[in-house]
Amino acid sequence: MTTTTRPVRTDAPATTPEAATAPWLLVARREIVVRLTDKAFLFGTLFTILLICGFTGWQVYDASRTSEYTVTATPGDREMADRVAAEAPEDTVAVDVEPAADDAAARSLVLAGDADAWLHLGEDGWVLTTEDSENAGLTRVTQDVVRTAVLERQAEALGTTTAELEAGSEVSTSLLRGDARQSRLAEFVGFAFGFLFYIAALSFGYVIANSVVEEKQSRVVEIITTSIPVRHLLAGKIVGNSLIAILQMVLYAGIGLVGIALTEYSGLVTVVTGPVAWYLVFFVAGFAALAALWAAAGALASRTEDIQSTTAPLLMLVLAVFFAAMLVEGTARTVLSFVPPFSAVLMPTRLLEGGAAWWEAVVALVLLMATAVAIVGVAQRLYRRSLLQTGGRLSLRQAWSAPE
Amino acid sequence: MLEISELTRRFGDVTAVDGVSFDVLGGVLTGFVGGNGAGKTTTMRMVMGVLGIDAGEVRWHGRPVTPQDQRRFGYMPEERGLYPKQRVLDQLVYLGQLKGMSAGEAGRTAEEHLERFGLADRARSRVEELSLGNQQRVQVVAALLHGPTALVLDEPFSGLDPTAVDAMADLLRERCATGVPVLFSSHQLDLVEQLCDRLVILADGRVVAAGGADELRSQGPVRYRMTCEHDTGWLREVRGVHVVDLDGRSALLEVVEHGAEQVVLRDATARGAVHEFSLVRPALADIYREVATR
Repeated sequence: MTTTTRPVRTDAPATTPEAATAPWLLVARREIVVRLTDKAFLFGTLFTILLICGFTGWQVYDASRTSEYTVTATPGDREMADRVAAEAPEDTVAVDVEPAADDAAARSLVLAGDADAWLHLGEDGWVLTTEDSENAGLTRVTQDVVRTAVLERQAEALGTTTAELEAGSEVSTSLLRGDARQSRLAEFVGFAFGFLFYIAALSFGYVIANSVVEEKQSRVVEIITTSIPVRHLLAGKIVGNSLIAILQMVLYAGIGLVGIALTEYSGLVTVVTGPVAWYLVFFVAGFAALAALWAAAGALASRTEDIQSTTAPLLMLVLAVFFAAMLVEGTARTVLSFVPPFSAVLMPTRLLEGGAAWWEAVVALVLLMATAVAIVGVAQRLYRRSLLQTGGRLSLRQAWSAPE
Repeated sequence: MLEISELTRRFGDVTAVDGVSFDVLGGVLTGFVGGNGAGKTTTMRMVMGVLGIDAGEVRWHGRPVTPQDQRRFGYMPEERGLYPKQRVLDQLVYLGQLKGMSAGEAGRTAEEHLERFGLADRARSRVEELSLGNQQRVQVVAALLHGPTALVLDEPFSGLDPTAVDAMADLLRERCATGVPVLFSSHQLDLVEQLCDRLVILADGRVVAAGGADELRSQGPVRYRMTCEHDTGWLREVRGVHVVDLDGRSALLEVVEHGAEQVVLRDATARGAVHEFSLVRPALADIYREVATR
């Protein structure tokens, strides 16, 4: 980061405010530099990136590894066991067959750990006996193969084929499966939306409130407000911190999308990218509105110690947005997805779930942006009027009606 | 010229500043004197636009002052403060830029001023690592950096060591000589007396005296010190003078009737030798005490 963004003028007099960099830009730049040189912030970001990488990495590893199982069967059941071994999808589940002379031998093989399971025909059908816990992969494969085999046999007895029996059912089955995958992903990404918004709104909220109080507490604010208009100071703070927050969010989202591309959900990256883009747009509007409120909350305090109490209502609001995104269902969810600031998280999530049309997103965005503008206006008044009051904590009413 | 006209500010039921008027002329060092709570800081904050005005106005070059004018003033608030974690030079460059300087100019000027205050080697230190006195010097630099069109300094000398006081006084004289109006408040009356061309004395939110130092002194009591060969007790009986202090052969007289001192001198020489007869100029502190408690 350089400290000069324009050439040094040597021919001009010392002060020509008209030609100088806009004050809000200077403030924003300072906020960014301060944040980017703050070790706690950098480590926090790095830690989050590692978490995301670790999580996706584990997903990729988990999806790609092959589980090997040994199944034992007595000679009478050997045919079915061989078929399971033959038809197992080898990239995820590989099955070996260990022959056993009789039921007792099969049981002792499982107990000794030489075989993972014993496949045998019970009174009501096939049974997969394991020692003390089920192996999900093996169970699924065995169920699939056994079902097919039994269906084939019974179809033959009825003088028909499995294909005929299954005709008409296969298409709907595979569609159901695809939806299930997407909705599982939507659930996860939706949670990520809510969680990241919560983290960003809270961590940057406190950062903004603190940077306002720092100026009040160190009294440097009096020098600054006699140098530039107060609205520039507020705008610079919001813009600077929002930029950093958005940059961080884009970084996380990008890493997350790359991560998804590496997992079995890679086909869904295109499905997710649209909502993620929407999420970033909603994030900007929602974050700007909250940032203004956090700045005002910071201005209500006189010392760092006051911040906890002046920002408490905002903490509640951010928590409410987070839990609403997680818990609210049905019509309430649809309604809330238009109500700022809930819309910042809920609308992109609904888009992701495929439950909202593009025009709904536009309406929600316009509402959110209008609210952001109104909130910035209100926050500016609170900020301006409480900024130079250093006699302790101010109530909202005091700040609103304080003389300038 | 900066004109302060009938400025009034109330805080609830308390009128902190009550119809204060005075001028700060270009090229004239104006000292602002008054006890705690007299209204100096409130007045200066109104002049800078930091505090709203209930009545009256501040005029700059004959028209109402605008925020743009105020932004080009140099201001040193009563309560000192800078960003504690930021490095001295970076901070000065930032504050200079906020005043409309380029980073390069701000950097050069800041280094020059730091040099003057003997802080050149602390330019890369964080503000919080500096002593309070040095932090104050940095703040003075911040107020002067952008070549202000007027200076409003609230207690610029408090907390400075004698060397820094001299450097500060030189700087103020220098700025003043370029035609910039300078208003500064101080509790250090001897310093104000030595430095200022003009004084404004505030008490209970009102201007109780204003004018040049000599002018103010001339409003004070006229006193003579006399030392004679003989005892001066007879002075108590002389009309037209008041004996302030008498110690055997030495006395301090206050002239009540104009010309009475000449009568006293004649009488004294008639009684014997007179070793000393001199006019005693009242100290500013005496005048201040008198007007402030009047």
